[in-house]
Amino acid sequence: MNAPMSTRPGQGIRIDQLRKRYGSGDTAVDALKNVNMTVAPGEVVGLIGPSGSGKSTLLKCLGAIIEPSAGRMTLGGDVIYDDAWKAGDLRALRRDRIGFVFQAPYLIPFLDVTDNVALLPMLAGVPNAQARQRARELLDALDVGHRARAQPSQLSGGEQQRVAIARALVNRPPVILADEPTAPLDSERALAVIRILNTMARQFETAVIVVTHDEKIIPTFRRIYQIRDGQTVEEAGEGRDI
Amino acid sequence: MKLPRPSLRQVLIAAAVVLLLAGAATVARRSGPFAAVSVTVVQPAQADLAPVLFGIGTVEARRSYLIGPTTAARVLRVRVDVGDVVKAGDLLAEMDPVDLDPRLGSAQAAIERGLSAQRSAEAQVADARSRQALAASEATRYQDLQRQNFVSPSVVDAKLQALKSADAQLTAAEAALAAARQDVTRLGAEREAVGRQRANLRLLAPADGVVTAREAEPGSTVVAGQAVLKLQQPGSLWVTTRFDQARATGLAEGLPASIRLRSAPERALPGKVLRIEPVADSVTEERIAQITFDAPPVGVSTKEMAEVTVALPVVPKARVLPNAALKMHQGRSGVWLLDGERLRFAPVRTGARGPDGAVQVLDGLPGDARVVVYSERALNPDTRVRVVERLAGSAP
Amino acid sequence: MISLAARDIAHGLGRFVLTGLGLGLLLGVTFSMAGIYRGMVDDAQALLANSGADLWVVQKDTQGPYAESSSLPDDAVRGIRALDGVAQAANVTYLTMQVQRGETETRAMVVGFEPGQPGEPPFLIAGRLPVRSHYEAVADRMTGYQVGERIRIRRHDYTVVGLTRRMVSSGGDPMVFIPLKDAQEAQFLKDNDAIVNNRARTAANPALNRPGVPGLLDAINATQTSNHSVNAVLVRLAPGADPDAVADTVRRWKHLQAYTVAQMQEILVAKLIATSARQIGMFLAILTVVSAAIVAFIIYTMTLGKMREIAVLKLIGTRNRTIAGMILQQALGLGLIGFLVGRVAAELWAPFFPKYVLLLPGDAARGFAVVMVVCALASTLAIRVALRVDPAEAIG
Repeated sequence: MNAPMSTRPGQGIRIDQLRKRYGSGDTAVDALKNVNMTVAPGEVVGLIGPSGSGKSTLLKCLGAIIEPSAGRMTLGGDVIYDDAWKAGDLRALRRDRIGFVFQAPYLIPFLDVTDNVALLPMLAGVPNAQARQRARELLDALDVGHRARAQPSQLSGGEQQRVAIARALVNRPPVILADEPTAPLDSERALAVIRILNTMARQFETAVIVVTHDEKIIPTFRRIYQIRDGQTVEEAGEGRDI
Repeated sequence: MKLPRPSLRQVLIAAAVVLLLAGAATVARRSGPFAAVSVTVVQPAQADLAPVLFGIGTVEARRSYLIGPTTAARVLRVRVDVGDVVKAGDLLAEMDPVDLDPRLGSAQAAIERGLSAQRSAEAQVADARSRQALAASEATRYQDLQRQNFVSPSVVDAKLQALKSADAQLTAAEAALAAARQDVTRLGAEREAVGRQRANLRLLAPADGVVTAREAEPGSTVVAGQAVLKLQQPGSLWVTTRFDQARATGLAEGLPASIRLRSAPERALPGKVLRIEPVADSVTEERIAQITFDAPPVGVSTKEMAEVTVALPVVPKARVLPNAALKMHQGRSGVWLLDGERLRFAPVRTGARGPDGAVQVLDGLPGDARVVVYSERALNPDTRVRVVERLAGSAP
Repeated sequence: MISLAARDIAHGLGRFVLTGLGLGLLLGVTFSMAGIYRGMVDDAQALLANSGADLWVVQKDTQGPYAESSSLPDDAVRGIRALDGVAQAANVTYLTMQVQRGETETRAMVVGFEPGQPGEPPFLIAGRLPVRSHYEAVADRMTGYQVGERIRIRRHDYTVVGLTRRMVSSGGDPMVFIPLKDAQEAQFLKDNDAIVNNRARTAANPALNRPGVPGLLDAINATQTSNHSVNAVLVRLAPGADPDAVADTVRRWKHLQAYTVAQMQEILVAKLIATSARQIGMFLAILTVVSAAIVAFIIYTMTLGKMREIAVLKLIGTRNRTIAGMILQQALGLGLIGFLVGRVAAELWAPFFPKYVLLLPGDAARGFAVVMVVCALASTLAIRVALRVDPAEAIG
């Protein structure tokens, strides 16, 4: 089994000239034309764009869910894609090296909070006790340790989201992809989530990409990538303190 | 390594599964082919055995008579009916004599005529005798005269010849008389014969009895040997009883018996074995015995069915087992013994059998034997058994 | 690694167990059907085994005495006893008829047997074997009779003196054992009206009712009401005798038909039960399909309710194998609960069936295997759906 930890945790993520074409011939559509992104370890950047701009497609490519058409993706120092997948087991890649945070927590309802988080290391072969230990530590760090034995349905929305974040972090992935993590939350909770993301990113030296159009949190980003018509443009963000 | 603490739910699930599996296993052990066979066990007891023989019989009259003519004839008159009590010699019925009476008259007349003929013959004998006497005296006289030479020898010869002739006539007349006498005797016998025939047409009761059947009415023709009436002696009823040959051991004359009539089964009438028929029935494989009633029964019809129980001599202090314990195994009759936990088949020899299923065991059983009586299925030496008081379903 | 299937089941335990219960009852019906078939076969085997016979001799060209009616003269047994290899031979009669107790009638197979011979009940669970030669009976427990009760068969009343079990005809009717002669009379003697009519008919026939031959009519009436037929002769062979050889001798020299145990099994099981077996087989097939459909539907529904979780699991890196395994485990778990509930339920309600239901451990094991396979196959539908889920659906 692969070691669950990223071998070079501090390397972040780097996208070079990524292109994604759907279809072929006359009906071909380039959802991504020329995407370039760099996110340093510990950094939290925003990915902003209107619907249809290719946000979702980019996220799916970053998440190794779909295959890009061309370009290069480097993750934690390893080239995972260079005009073709270089990483062998995409599933293992997603499991060990990419963390996902969704709009909704999407916790597994039939597992308790600890097991929801510990599931990922267990899938990677870590013994149950050790996996749970690691999960517990993370839950404590996120201030939901006192709910460790509860069922997800018993938690508040904010608590569930924090558990989801813990799940994303438990395998110490070099990158976390967050898709509209604050969309259903009010401003206080939304900022709390961003705060946590920032804290965790720094603590675990994880690069975090937050796809969002939530006006409440956009000002918090120091760097923002705008995506329009399949192309990204880097911008400076406000970097407001939270 | 720290074992994970199971949640309450996990414990409950595990418990439910274990319970269910245990239930299934118990069910398999209790009622599947692996289950032990329930049996009941008994030890041989000592008891006095009163064996009985059982037979079915019909009530018959000891003596019954068929009253009928000895020649084909027509019934003229029947004077009694079914149920009438008659005495010996009573006139029961008469057949039509037809021509017998005139024949009788004719025979009588023939006798009269014979007697007349006999008288005539007697007269002729007297006549012949007188002539013979005369011829004899004349012959003697002429012989005298001839000796004095007063007459010729031819005259004497003539007289001698006349004497011979008269002798012969006398003999003939005497013979004729004898014939007439014999004729009378013959006619007398013939009249006797017709008279007897006529008497035969009067049917008399040969003995005291009760008329049990009236088979022919006046005017009907019957053949020789056919019964017009049937007679039975009352008070001579017995039960002709049939006993299975295989189970008639010990049947002997003089044994006491108990008779239950089919029409009155709640009353047991005492009786006795009077006679065992020397010829048995080979087709039905039964022995036949006659059982008499100690006291003449009332209101009984013959040909009624009866059940007869004959009491055989009591076998005292016999070692007995219930007959349900006797089984066949590998062609031999015996019982299953329980040695500790194991079954063992022991052939036994049996003796008398009592009326309630007790069987005398003659040999083959150890003193403290535990004998299997009832079982849930047929046994063999490696059947696992479980001893119980009573088998399921054996009583309400 | 934890068991996702177990967690999911525990999370919705009530619904899962209830579904398992429902499936279990359906499987219980399935097991009962198989048990009914086995019971029928066992009835036939019990019938053959409990008769204690090695050979059945029946009327020529019939497949009797159970599958077809057969009639033999009752003296044929003597010739058979004399054959080489025959240890015991005895007449038996079989007739399925109504037996009366008080006001109620029970359908039973009345068996006529000779004591100590093949045909006698091989074991008792209560009471005793008949001691009298007439009017005592041994009944199977299934009749509901108790020791000491009076029952009526045709014209006579019998006392139940003993009880046995598992003595049933091939049709599942309980047996009542009475002495052979009584059984012959019950089977072959007509009712009173018929007898009276027969007598009148014979008397009206001038060839039979000859006045010149007194007693002829009575003799003819007697033969018409005598019963010298039986249905079969049961033969027990001496140790070491070859059943086929003896059967062959009977067939060739006695002009009768003879069947060995193997041939009787063939007749009863293959021919008599064949139609019912096919019927039950159809039921089993249908029930299996229905059970498979139910399991497939339940698992499919459970999976559909988890589509989002499955997408998330796939997204965060769960292998397809793990997800498929979760669904498969749930299906197998459902099958396991269903099997246990079904097996226990079948065991619990088996005694209430009117005929014998035999649940064999072998059948249970086979049933378990089939249930597991069916559940595994039924889960493939849900697995296919689950595997086709695009993890990208987790991302909006």
